[in-house]
Amino acid sequence: MTAPLLVAAQPQASFVPDSAGGDFIQLRDVYKSYGEGLVVMDHLSLDMRADDRLVIIGPSGSGKSSLLRVMMGLESIQGGTINFQGQPYIDGNARNQGKPLDVRLQTQVGMVFQHYTLFPHLSVLSNLILAPMKVHGLSKAQATEKARIFLARLGLESKLNAYPSQLSGGQKQRVAIARALMLEPKLMLFDEVTSALDPEMVTEVQNVMMQLAEEKMAMIIVTHDMHFAKNIASRVVFCANGKVVEQGPPAQIFTQPKEPRTREFLEKVLHLG
Amino acid sequence: MQLDFWVVLSYWQVLAKGLALTLAFTVSCAVLGSVCGFLLSLLRLSKSPLIRIPTGLYVELFRGTPLLIQLFWIFFCLPVVFGISVPPYVSVVLALTLYMTAITSETFRGALKSIPSEQHDACTALGVASWNKVFYVIFPQALLRAVPPLLSNVVSLFKESALISSVGIADLMFVGQNISNSTARPVEFLSAVAVIYFLVAFPLTRLVGVIETRMLRRYAY
Amino acid sequence: MNYQFDFHFLTGNFGALWEGLKVTLQLALVSNVEGLILGFGLCLLTLSRWFFIRWPAQLFIEFFRCTPALLQIVWFFYCLPMLFNVFIDPITMGVLALGLNLTAFNAEAYRAGVQAVPREHLDACVALGLRPWQRTLYVILPQAVRTALPVLMTNGISILQQSALVAIVAVADLMYVGKSIATEAYRPLETYSLIALIYFALSLPIAQLVQWLERRQDTALAR
Repeated sequence: MTAPLLVAAQPQASFVPDSAGGDFIQLRDVYKSYGEGLVVMDHLSLDMRADDRLVIIGPSGSGKSSLLRVMMGLESIQGGTINFQGQPYIDGNARNQGKPLDVRLQTQVGMVFQHYTLFPHLSVLSNLILAPMKVHGLSKAQATEKARIFLARLGLESKLNAYPSQLSGGQKQRVAIARALMLEPKLMLFDEVTSALDPEMVTEVQNVMMQLAEEKMAMIIVTHDMHFAKNIASRVVFCANGKVVEQGPPAQIFTQPKEPRTREFLEKVLHLG
Repeated sequence: MQLDFWVVLSYWQVLAKGLALTLAFTVSCAVLGSVCGFLLSLLRLSKSPLIRIPTGLYVELFRGTPLLIQLFWIFFCLPVVFGISVPPYVSVVLALTLYMTAITSETFRGALKSIPSEQHDACTALGVASWNKVFYVIFPQALLRAVPPLLSNVVSLFKESALISSVGIADLMFVGQNISNSTARPVEFLSAVAVIYFLVAFPLTRLVGVIETRMLRRYAY
Repeated sequence: MNYQFDFHFLTGNFGALWEGLKVTLQLALVSNVEGLILGFGLCLLTLSRWFFIRWPAQLFIEFFRCTPALLQIVWFFYCLPMLFNVFIDPITMGVLALGLNLTAFNAEAYRAGVQAVPREHLDACVALGLRPWQRTLYVILPQAVRTALPVLMTNGISILQQSALVAIVAVADLMYVGKSIATEAYRPLETYSLIALIYFALSLPIAQLVQWLERRQDTALAR
């Protein structure tokens, strides 16, 4: 599986390991609460570079999934701003309640979820070509050809006409990744995509994500799998109570965390595996 | 007291006619009611309270009152309200259809609600929005999920149709009661009628179960 | 529509309506008690290990679920006295018929509830040394009831509606009284509308309660 997954390779960018900065994505003072004192993002600030692979770790309810969902435009924020590729993307104080300001920017974000991602009543092929055809105006022939190429690179070409119910969990998630990639996004978001899989299927999905990383796809990953985080991340971000507590290269975070909160969390998590 | 079940056989033609009428009413009102129920469930998705409140009230009213009184009201009161004479068959079809409409609109609503929110999220993530999303993703799944409960509703309608005997329609129930009265053999004939209803309703109920497991497992997780 | 609404005649009939309402409530409440208790018992029978207990129980349920309620009521009223040479007063017979009908539907509701109890709980009972009847009473029953409660209540409302059917066999419930008044006073519109409203007023609060319960269960499950 060495053929490139991305239709066009991302431009090479210089990789400065210690810099926490970046102008690909800039979150400033982002505030999100569900009311009644349930604050999931508490004036959170974070930068990302175009070749970063951010892995966000932290206890439940620390705002990890919320961050992804906000970036995708699934949920709104009540305060702060988010810039994407140098342009204003989301403004918590704007009238549209903190949803993406520019739909074109939103279409450059792709997301893969933990559960029930694929459309169960459509075949794998239909799942892949629906959005390219209906939203981006590709013809059926063009979209089908593209889908074929993606599936072939994932080794799933034989499943073109199968239905999601006939696929294993790992195959479903790989198809879901392909479906998002069909739209040639600039940023991919992965929300615990292997958490619901049986252990033997986790590797196949993680391999796909590693390959995307090698092709320099910008990604933000939320995962519980610390071993995988160590392998794929260019930067690990530890969030707790809606704030970024600490961030840095995986080698540093996992072996020499600076903050006590980080140490506390890692001790609990890494102790088991 | 002598029970003689063979007597039932000599009346099979009358019973068959009654059954035919029951089935005719059931099928026609089921079809009409399902279509109208579907349209009604669409209306109930509207944001305007001017549409949502009357339609919601309609559904609650027809689910919260006995079908018998709905039947009597339409049968006896409608001609009075409109000042015209309404043929019995029309009243009965109207009553059963209005009832079925209310029930099926709830079925469709339930089916829509049962679609996991992740499906909506996936559409947002792919940029598939509004008309495309509804037509290609949401409604097909809602219709698929609605089929088993819809079939259950039809079986219920089949049973409830026995009420039309109370306004003189010669359905299976009416015929059975008539014969049992005239032959003074209620046990034989009422039991036979029960068996006939059972022989129709039971396989259909089993069919609902089969459809649920086979079809839904394949196309709706 | 030129029709003169006249509700005054109803004032004279309040007594009769009240009596009818009492009968309806009696039918609904007693058959509910019957259905709730016997339904659970019947459900346990259908889950029994022994074929000869399971199958008759299942057949009973299927028969009551696949035949019209009206037919069941008529059958009870005309066939029971004949078969067993007894006279039972109409209201008791109505309660019997409606109660058995509800028992069958509730048994199915309980079954779904029982099967929703995680197997791990049953295993835990064995590990803790609880005897089968203790397991049923203390672990299975509470959880099954909690799961099945919305359906049980919906079935309960349904029996309230079905109770109107006893009017056809001349039991003096609310429906029967309404029918008599409507025919005697030649005023079907006011009478039947009022009767419908009474049934509606009786079932609406319970229906709202069911909706509230289901919403609470949804949020509980989501957590």
